Amino acid sequence: MKRLGWRRWLIVVAFLLAAAFAGLFVARTVRHAVYWSRHRDEVIRPWMSVGYVAHSYRVPPDVLYRAINLNPMPRDRRPLRLIAKEQNRPVEAVTTDLEKAIADFRAHPEQFPPPHNGHKTP
Amino acid sequence: MRITDYLLATFGVYGLPVLFVVLLVGSAGVPLPASLLLVAAGSFVEQGELNLWSVLMLSATGAVLGDQIGYVVGRWGGRRLTLRFAKLVGGENRIEQTETWLRKREGVGVFLSRWLLTPLGPVVNLTAGATQYSWPRFFLYDVLGEMLWVVLYVLLGKFFSDRVQALNDLLGDLTWAILGLIAAIVLGVLAFRHLRAD
Repeated sequence: MKRLGWRRWLIVVAFLLAAAFAGLFVARTVRHAVYWSRHRDEVIRPWMSVGYVAHSYRVPPDVLYRAINLNPMPRDRRPLRLIAKEQNRPVEAVTTDLEKAIADFRAHPEQFPPPHNGHKTP
Repeated sequence: MRITDYLLATFGVYGLPVLFVVLLVGSAGVPLPASLLLVAAGSFVEQGELNLWSVLMLSATGAVLGDQIGYVVGRWGGRRLTLRFAKLVGGENRIEQTETWLRKREGVGVFLSRWLLTPLGPVVNLTAGATQYSWPRFFLYDVLGEMLWVVLYVLLGKFFSDRVQALNDLLGDLTWAILGLIAAIVLGVLAFRHLRAD
């Protein structure tokens, strides 16, 4: 009888833990879904290439390559971390330049030259 | 730099070989962000940097090979360990009953843990091997499940190609939420039966 009681309580505690775990992750999923529906731009991170940032922010890649003093062709697939290292400056500085270029392009797209051949227009 | 960032950066530069290795090693049981790389691969396909069919074929092959490693380890190492443990505690009959129970349900477990309950995948591989679940059946359910997982995640990544990180965060938490809900339902039914029996 004692053993059965011990097992019963173990199952109840396990159930409560599983329910709490499920509740936590359902809440996180809902939070992500709400964020998803309200934001389209991803936070720029060191793993991203200039091409991915351009694609994510729907900006011509040429605009971003020029903003960090890179030649648009041939396409540079390196992550921002490596570009920053080569330019001997922190990756945050590269990110800031890209964010500024994106803001400038979105404010005045007509002031930027047409994209270089070979790049997809976002 | 986090391991996920490092892998994504390496994948961006070297492409398919990195995807193959991460899926193989990840499916064998090493905790690597394989789902994230699949979503990123879909995004790279959409951007014209990778070929869709190459991504699908290499990813599925890597994942299935990794699962076979887990199965083989479970079959040889896990079996011996289980029997030694059973002898120690004197529960050979119980082990046999559990194995029979598992063998009947393992096909569904293998299939679902490939694409829906992915965190359980490596454990299911080991268990399938340790309980000597039929290898041809394991292979069949494994291939079906992995193909579904790869196609689903790559196409989601391709469709939402501009939001790789946000999509991965959403899918990751959704997977754990489903896993938690299933565990809560199963334990809830068990708890209800015990309470009613009293």
